[in-house]
Amino acid sequence: MSLRDVFEKNPDRRYIMFGGKGGLGKTTFSATTAYWLAKKGFKVLVFSVDPQASLSDIFQRDIFGKGPVEIMPNLYAQEIDADRRIKEYQNEIRHKIKDMYGLEEVPEEIESYIQATAAEPAMEESAIFDAVVDIVVGGEYDYYIYDLVPLGHALYYLSMASVYDEWISKITQLRQEMQEYSQVAAVMQRSKETEEDMILKELLYIKERINTSSGILTDKQKTAFFFVLIPEDMIIIDTQKAASLFAKFNVPLSGYIVNRVIPQELAQQDIPEYLRNRLEMQKKYLAKIDQTFGNEVLGWVHEFERDITGLQMIERLAEEIFGR
Amino acid sequence: MSEEKKEKKPGFFDNIKSVLYGMAGHDMARFALKTRGSMEHLFILITMGDLLGIPILPPYYSLRLLPYVVPQISTWKRRMLREKDLTDALA
Repeated sequence: MSLRDVFEKNPDRRYIMFGGKGGLGKTTFSATTAYWLAKKGFKVLVFSVDPQASLSDIFQRDIFGKGPVEIMPNLYAQEIDADRRIKEYQNEIRHKIKDMYGLEEVPEEIESYIQATAAEPAMEESAIFDAVVDIVVGGEYDYYIYDLVPLGHALYYLSMASVYDEWISKITQLRQEMQEYSQVAAVMQRSKETEEDMILKELLYIKERINTSSGILTDKQKTAFFFVLIPEDMIIIDTQKAASLFAKFNVPLSGYIVNRVIPQELAQQDIPEYLRNRLEMQKKYLAKIDQTFGNEVLGWVHEFERDITGLQMIERLAEEIFGR
Repeated sequence: MSEEKKEKKPGFFDNIKSVLYGMAGHDMARFALKTRGSMEHLFILITMGDLLGIPILPPYYSLRLLPYVVPQISTWKRRMLREKDLTDALA
């Protein structure tokens, strides 16, 4: 099976993700897949949730924080500016407080709390994944390609999502009980109906958002997750570990792509010792990859003579991966 | 209650109802409200714990709830940080 087959045989899988350690080519494959799908006539959005995003670099255009930018017909790219999103969100909360209570200024105590939240480590992940929910529920595109953050972040978010979900269910329960008590008091005092609990409403909204974002990551019908690796021992071991962790969180793994393979034909030529050693090393680890991942490997991509930036190079790579 | 009823002088049964409410219902209503009040403070603790330095709910989401609990924050903080003594049990 090749990468092309996976796409053609599973037309329902519209959320595509590439994962792997940093610097192995996730962005490259995201961009290339987006390019290929766009050429086939699908409307594609490739977006990055990485604060050090490199979509701008690969498309050679500054798209950071600018919303979806059209790169070529049918192909849109977006880099989420998490910092700005957090600031806007905080301002929204400040406005809401001022509006609700007719205040000129947010009370000092509350203000310092709002400011402190920005420093929380989980804030950025939450903001990013919340932004992703906004993008995905929009449903404007045929394909959504996640240029995923390095493995750690994704795992962190997945585990966070399941804990949050449980936690919010508990809080919601408490809130519902509280409402029952208010109702009892209201009945006893024969007063009017209690007013609608806005907090309960917000909690249910939060729960839905978290479920949507983690739901997409774990939906076998709609999501395809690919691992990118290179023929080196440490990477193989790490990928194996990550794959088993992802499997625990029910992320649907669709296969592996081996990047940076030095063409074996070079061995027949007169090449320096250094390159010959690299070739030997890769041969060994390619065999190991074959042993470990077997027919889950969807493609081997050779090392290009230069880096992949700009649409011309992306086109060349797309031809290599998906064929003409 | 319809307007017609409101204007009428409370009848015998209304008086009985009030007396009964005073005897039984009032305490129950007070208890229900008190319990609800405690739960409100528990709720703020688990959502806004960061205000006391106890991070519990992820801040991104607790911010969404913040506007609704603004009026309760100061009484809640006072209650949480207050020293407890024997007379509390009688309250």
